[in-house]
Amino acid sequence: MITKDKIDTYIEKIPPAPKVLKETLSLLNDGELIKASKVAESDLALKSYLKHIVNKPIYGFKNEVTDISQIFTILGVARSQQTVYNYMLSLLSPKEWTIFNLTEQNFHELQARLSANYNKILKHLNIIDKDIQSCISLLPASIIIVEALFKEQKENIELIKSTKSIDYNTILKRLTGMDLFDICEEIAKKWEMSDKISQIIQTSSGIKPSEDKDINHIAKWIHLLLFYELSQPIFIEANLNDFLEFQVEFVEDIYEEFLQVIKVQDK
Amino acid sequence: MRAVLKNGIAVFHPQGFLDGNSAETMLSIEDIKATEKLETDLVLVSLKKVIFFNKNGLETFVRMLTKVRKSTQARIGFCDYDTKKFNSIINFFKDDLSFSLFNTIDTASLFASNFKNQKKNALVYSENKSQRSVMAIELHNYGHNPIIAQSKEEFEEKKKNAKTYDVIIENSYMGCMENGNIVAKVSSNAIIYNISSFLDASISNNFNIYYHNNSLKAGFRLFIFEAYQVINMNVHAMNFFSKLASAAAEYNATICFVGLSKDKITQKFYETLEDSGIMFFEQLDTILDDKKLLAELGASTATNTKDKRSLNKAMITQLPSFIEATVDTIKMMTNAEAKKESASIYTIKIQEVEDKIASSIGFYGDIDGMVILVFPNNIAKKACELLIGEETDDKELIMDALGEFVNIIGGKIKSLLADNDIRVKITLPRTYNEVSELLTVADNRKGVQVDLTFDGDKFSFFLTR
Repeated sequence: MITKDKIDTYIEKIPPAPKVLKETLSLLNDGELIKASKVAESDLALKSYLKHIVNKPIYGFKNEVTDISQIFTILGVARSQQTVYNYMLSLLSPKEWTIFNLTEQNFHELQARLSANYNKILKHLNIIDKDIQSCISLLPASIIIVEALFKEQKENIELIKSTKSIDYNTILKRLTGMDLFDICEEIAKKWEMSDKISQIIQTSSGIKPSEDKDINHIAKWIHLLLFYELSQPIFIEANLNDFLEFQVEFVEDIYEEFLQVIKVQDK
Repeated sequence: MRAVLKNGIAVFHPQGFLDGNSAETMLSIEDIKATEKLETDLVLVSLKKVIFFNKNGLETFVRMLTKVRKSTQARIGFCDYDTKKFNSIINFFKDDLSFSLFNTIDTASLFASNFKNQKKNALVYSENKSQRSVMAIELHNYGHNPIIAQSKEEFEEKKKNAKTYDVIIENSYMGCMENGNIVAKVSSNAIIYNISSFLDASISNNFNIYYHNNSLKAGFRLFIFEAYQVINMNVHAMNFFSKLASAAAEYNATICFVGLSKDKITQKFYETLEDSGIMFFEQLDTILDDKKLLAELGASTATNTKDKRSLNKAMITQLPSFIEATVDTIKMMTNAEAKKESASIYTIKIQEVEDKIASSIGFYGDIDGMVILVFPNNIAKKACELLIGEETDDKELIMDALGEFVNIIGGKIKSLLADNDIRVKITLPRTYNEVSELLTVADNRKGVQVDLTFDGDKFSFFLTR
């Protein structure tokens, strides 16, 4: 069904980060918001994405923000970087989805919701770290990878799933020895993202605990946030609820705190 | 979201957060209809991977599952939760619990037809005295040994010797039960039907005769009716069983009743049923625990004297679909190519029967027949690796996974045939520990035998009617 060769070919085909994006990210990293916005302006697709995403209700801006320099200034360095990474990832998403019932619009919605709620979490945890801030952008890569690798196997997967409760990550691991998060790590390397981002994403799978206490802690929040979002009707309808196995034990100690931060209604 | 059917229990596995909105999206009308077709007597929602739920979320699930119960009489409920979740559910619904709660799937399985009469030692405790009694009665009815703790202290004390018990039941609740349909299960390669109450003409409506006939064709030779809860039967029901026994005799199959004592039906009825070849036993275990008796009754050594029908044109035309389904499934589950070596229309011929296992699955509808697969042990293990997830030599686990594997092939056949506008249903898969068992069922049957190789090792596919 899925072979290691197929995974290698997939990774091979992932394009490196476009020059404009690399330059934008580099300038953002240096705190040069205005210069970064000027570079970003030259990429019309990036410009359109940024305007579209930050004006979603979950970002909570009262008035429409249209100017890129204004967007970067409002978001600040770390969140701007995170949003540019979101855009990079959206470049990998397919035009048409087969396995998941997604559209470009609701994939962007997922990215926006993850980012906005993740920022609430980071604020609550008092974490100011550009790498930690950016890593949430890589998480939906796991969904794009499943779509790319399994799209020709939809019926077969449905057959297997009617016999056994098994998720895509487990199927992939058992067939190839590699899981979704290993592939996410490969994407991160290709895009020259920091090792720390890769480590956090690997740990957020919930099955590969890190020896680093801080990475472990933030990974738990990411894991729980992902499943909070995948429990929203729009993403359940997209068949995303069980694409990955939720590790309840991994997140149990932060669960109550999470409910307060995200303000989950108990009714 | 679709339920996963395992050992006759259908389980939904939601993950994450369950509120009114998410629950409504998780279970669509199509999902409910698909569940109704599963012919199961227990439909559950596992809360194992649910970290948060509220009353609206559970109510939505209950509302949808109640639809399944109305049409199938299956028991419905939730399972796999901790004490905190149990208390929340009890608190949400208070005295209005119309569904069951099982702390684990193991507890739930004690109340499923597939696990009846396994004499499991179950330590039971509930704060609610009437629930303790209900559980004790139900466990007895299902052929287990309940040990009831009358107080929390007694329960905690007994729990210290956890190894003494097969299952520890706490934080569980038996909801209302509307069982009445006839559900089939497989044990020791015998098909077991559960019947209860007063049996009348409605038995012919509740009994799936197509399924039964195709189980015969798929090689099942022993059919047991569990009749512990039967009160009486009228002449219509008696005629139904007599006819069933006569039809079974043509396949050298046996029909037995267990738990139907002579005082429940008239002497005349009893004799008529005996004359038609039906056998009576007091307990199911009398049969299942006695391998010699099982073999004599046909569970493993049946012969096939009837229905050696030739393949017809419709079947031959569809042969590529059958082969494709098998080859594709093996490729899908193992990433290894299965290659067709040779094909011939003849009677089944297995060279070197040692160290091989087999499985068969029947199909019926627009066309009917049976697919048989014979694997060397090591190949079967490899083919099932994705389902097992680890290396094992546990024969029971391998046979179980082989059943699932053949079920997937059956599903694939069904879907490929549907692409050609041919509608079929599939039976439960039957597995054979030894090829000799298979040969007693399929020997001398005409059909297409296709020898295939998988990673260089040979295995056989056989399509017959």
